[in-house]
Amino acid sequence: MTSTEQVQTSEAAIDPTRDPRLDLLAKKPDQMEKLIALCFIVGIACFVAMMVFYVRGSSTQVEGALMAAGFGGLGVGMVAWGKYLMPKGPFEEERHQIGSTEEDRKAFADAFIGRGTIAVKRRSFLGKLLGLATAIFGIFSLGPLLDSLGPNPGNALDSTAWKKGSKVVTEHGRAIKVDDLEVGGFMTVFPEGNVGSYDGQTLLIRAGTSDIVTMPGRESWGPQGYLAYSKVCTHAGCPISLYQQETEQLLCPCHQSLFNVLQAAEPVFGPAPRPLPQLPLAIDKNGYIIAQAGYNEPIGPGYWNF
Amino acid sequence: MPSLLKKDKPKQTGAEKATAGAKWLDDRLGLAKGGRVFFNKIFPDHWSFMLGEIALYSFVVLLVTGVFLTLYYVPSADMLTYHGSYAPLKGTQVSAAYNSTLAISFDVRFGLLVRQMHHWAADIFLGAIAVHMCRVFFTGAFRRPRELNWIVGVTLLILGISNGFLGYSLPDDLISGTGLRIMFSVVESIPVVGTHLAFWLFGGNYPGNGVIIPRMFMLHVLLVPAIMVALVGAHLALLVKQKHTQFSGPGKTEKNVVGTPMWPGFMFKTQGYFFLVVAVLAGLGGWAQINPIWQYGQYFPYKVSYAVQPDWYMGWLDGALRIMPSWEFQNFGYMIPNMFFPAVLLPGIAFNIFIVWPFIEAKVRKDYKEHHLLERPRDNPWRTSIGAGALAFFFMLFAASSTDVLANYFNISLNLVLWFFRFATYIIPFFVAGITYKICLELQALGRYGGRRKRFNVVLRTAEGEYFSEKTPARPGDLDVLSGEEEEPLELTEEVSEKIRESSELIGVSSTELNKLPPPADQGVKRVERD
Amino acid sequence: MDWLIFLSIPFKLKYLRKLLPFVVIATVIMIAMTTFRSGAQISKSGTSMENLVSVSSTTSSTSSTTTSSTSTTEAKPTSVNTGPLLYEDSGTPATNSQVEQGKIYFDQSCSSCHGIGAEGSSRAPNLVGLGPATIDFWVTTGRMPLANTIVQPERKPPRYDPSQSLDIVAYVTSLGPGGPLIPNVSGVSNASIAEGASLFALNCAGCHTITGAGDELASGAYAPSLHQATPTQVAEAIRTGPANMPRFSPGIMTNAQVNDIVKYVTQSIQHPDNAGGFGLGGVGPVAEGFVGLLIGVGILMLFALWIGDRS
Repeated sequence: MTSTEQVQTSEAAIDPTRDPRLDLLAKKPDQMEKLIALCFIVGIACFVAMMVFYVRGSSTQVEGALMAAGFGGLGVGMVAWGKYLMPKGPFEEERHQIGSTEEDRKAFADAFIGRGTIAVKRRSFLGKLLGLATAIFGIFSLGPLLDSLGPNPGNALDSTAWKKGSKVVTEHGRAIKVDDLEVGGFMTVFPEGNVGSYDGQTLLIRAGTSDIVTMPGRESWGPQGYLAYSKVCTHAGCPISLYQQETEQLLCPCHQSLFNVLQAAEPVFGPAPRPLPQLPLAIDKNGYIIAQAGYNEPIGPGYWNF
Repeated sequence: MPSLLKKDKPKQTGAEKATAGAKWLDDRLGLAKGGRVFFNKIFPDHWSFMLGEIALYSFVVLLVTGVFLTLYYVPSADMLTYHGSYAPLKGTQVSAAYNSTLAISFDVRFGLLVRQMHHWAADIFLGAIAVHMCRVFFTGAFRRPRELNWIVGVTLLILGISNGFLGYSLPDDLISGTGLRIMFSVVESIPVVGTHLAFWLFGGNYPGNGVIIPRMFMLHVLLVPAIMVALVGAHLALLVKQKHTQFSGPGKTEKNVVGTPMWPGFMFKTQGYFFLVVAVLAGLGGWAQINPIWQYGQYFPYKVSYAVQPDWYMGWLDGALRIMPSWEFQNFGYMIPNMFFPAVLLPGIAFNIFIVWPFIEAKVRKDYKEHHLLERPRDNPWRTSIGAGALAFFFMLFAASSTDVLANYFNISLNLVLWFFRFATYIIPFFVAGITYKICLELQALGRYGGRRKRFNVVLRTAEGEYFSEKTPARPGDLDVLSGEEEEPLELTEEVSEKIRESSELIGVSSTELNKLPPPADQGVKRVERD
Repeated sequence: MDWLIFLSIPFKLKYLRKLLPFVVIATVIMIAMTTFRSGAQISKSGTSMENLVSVSSTTSSTSSTTTSSTSTTEAKPTSVNTGPLLYEDSGTPATNSQVEQGKIYFDQSCSSCHGIGAEGSSRAPNLVGLGPATIDFWVTTGRMPLANTIVQPERKPPRYDPSQSLDIVAYVTSLGPGGPLIPNVSGVSNASIAEGASLFALNCAGCHTITGAGDELASGAYAPSLHQATPTQVAEAIRTGPANMPRFSPGIMTNAQVNDIVKYVTQSIQHPDNAGGFGLGGVGPVAEGFVGLLIGVGILMLFALWIGDRS
């Protein structure tokens, strides 16, 4: 190996014995060195400036710009140093066989199997007992581990907080009266006592009574044009809150499933496979909107039901 | 007294001190021999070998900035009232996680810069992995003996994507919360065990009992990074052990590696490159706003924003969800939900193919030999076109994740855009693969003969307006268009030169171009020798 | 130990050695300044945010005062105030001259589609009884008059200035009563931005996106960007539900809540705190992904091209 000093002096005189690989890539190393020094000075200046701005209070933009410029100066300088002021090569390295030799492999196998036969194979009963012990512990420990992670699903996914007679309330817990919504209005509602619950969130829409296509068995579900559908998309569980009142459609913001509001929220477009569950509504004697019953099917995306 | 001690020792130069220090270490560790070998390790000079380093250095930045962020982030879903310095949210109910992320952004000095650098580093880490993986795939660098390193790399990609998603979900803002809800549905959709898995992960039915954020935090800052650090170490150790691949070229064989030694040349370049990666990340972190959670607000399960997308590396999965037809299978009372196919089956199949690809290819090509020289993409048109098709497929899925943004930008109906992607995602990759195959063959035809031209045909027009084509006289090294064989070069007599000049004038070649006409045959272009 | 000689290379480059004093000086300065830091005033981004809020609140209040002052100047003393009521919480009805002037504008630009008596036609809906807020919204946002009746009307520079629009509103309202009046947004200055943000996320972000950038909806409809809407227009849109937008009547949303949303939209949405740099269009991770891949990885690949060989 030759030091840099020697490389630098050797380039002036033409020496037939010199190794061209040790030449520098830079034609004028002194100038290059100045350039690199300039890069480093830029780096230093930026870091000092960063300190100043830090003390005086600065913005993310100033910090970012100075940090970028500082490290940029260092980076460009170091790359240039490595690229232009070092022997340009190319140098060469031999490859050796990666795998071991046959003898080594044999010696290894002999050591492993030979010694193992004496100590382990003849005591296979002990080995089996050991294996059994670890297996029992392993299987046993799965139980408490998984159990404490979370409850069994049971029928948690089948039911919601909506019950027979649940009052329909707003996000702020205010009960909704029959004349609160105009035709073309919609809002997010919850069962009274469960405001903000994930599975209770429901869309209350008031549509024109004449346009609604009533499904068999749901004749009484939509009094005075009020329709309530689960806000949880049957595709991926996102809250649906795009109501296009002119076209009477609900669009899911996540994957653009489209549901027909007037026809029991049947999916008409996109990946959602099932209609949104509908909440049967009624109006009580004081004019408040209430639920006739809870949802009659699980809300939200599909799952493997146990 | 130090001055008294000094008298006893002769003054040492810097180099002597360094030598003494190194000797002290070597007496205890015995590193000199191995260190020498390490310093002599040759790194090929081709630029495409630097791509993996972008990923490595982004990973370093991720670790450092991540440590900073853990000092301030609070992994808790407990609700509290916001009193920080972001005025529009003052007095609102936020979770401790969101509160601390706001504090990092507005109240911790350098916090926003570090947070944004962390996020950009994640985006660029995975981007660099993707690009690096393309380089390895298209040049066949994964072939024996490097199959294991390929598998380590794909595992790192999978872990990187997972950890990116976990980190994206930690701030508990409106958009990440929606992503988390979708993830619950994805887990839920796995047949047989899905519902249980989801309940275990979240500690109950969605949104769970508040355990998901601490659990994700543990996974994000401890478990996954620890595995990744170990795998990155293994990745590099394997690379040192097996030595680099290289492109074929003068003096480059299966038996050697040609390039720059580790010390000092490569060390300086790569250290400089590390600084440059930091510089780019700092520039982006300071000037390009990423994930402005203060604009999104706290997540509540019943609130949502339109135009929500995951980070780009999850985008292809989101796109797959969008273009999936509305199918769902109900058998014997059990349901296989719609989500299962695009969100579980597709990535499962894709990553498994990635992992076993080296073995598939070896089997198909019956090529079990060791390879240290890389193939150029054109040398293996089948692999290249399959790779290009796969890239096109994933790109289409990614584009499908922004159907709404595209529809809005180009002012077309959302329905139309969706139907386009439902078909184009499966059709376009085949076109891309076919075109790539053709391009490879064309490049091969050129490259096989040392990069020489085919022969020109010129179209001539007679005075009567009749068109006909004529071959220009063969120049040294010209190939026959049809046969691909090298033609006998004409001797460059006066007559031939005149003819060339004539035809050149007809096709409008300038005089400077004419000067570039090949020299006479005896000084013909020197062929690049190849091993 | 011949390999150790490489350790001395950095010390042999004379220019770099000369830099050493600078490094030392810089370090000293840094240390000195960090020591004095405790006495320095630290400005927080929060203060600048408050400045922004106060500035924009003054602008919004001035704009609302100008609208109200135009309406009062339009009311010429000679005219008789027998026209219809246009404003919420305002006792002064429109003047007859406003109605007359409005008829002229209406006959010029609107009657060809909506009919002479605003009764509607096969091409355009009946306007009688829709109310002042609806008419004012469509005219002041420039969506009406419309050239092409097929597409969803787009926001464009309005043909009529605010006072002329008001004339049209007065005329159409005089044809038949009913419908929401033009909301009074003077209470916006006292509204709560935090409450507005919460209401926006629940009721508006689903279509307009959380950054107010707007996006494509189904069936060729789209939710427009909110970045140019005036306070009055925001309130009008909430109350009247233009086109596919749902209607938020007082039963759903109180006037105070509307004012909260108006304040949030005209301040936080229209002047977002982009503390982190360029907002990248406010469309979220897709734009971020493109920037990360094209600019971030792209620049780094260019650096790689410089560092390595290209053969």
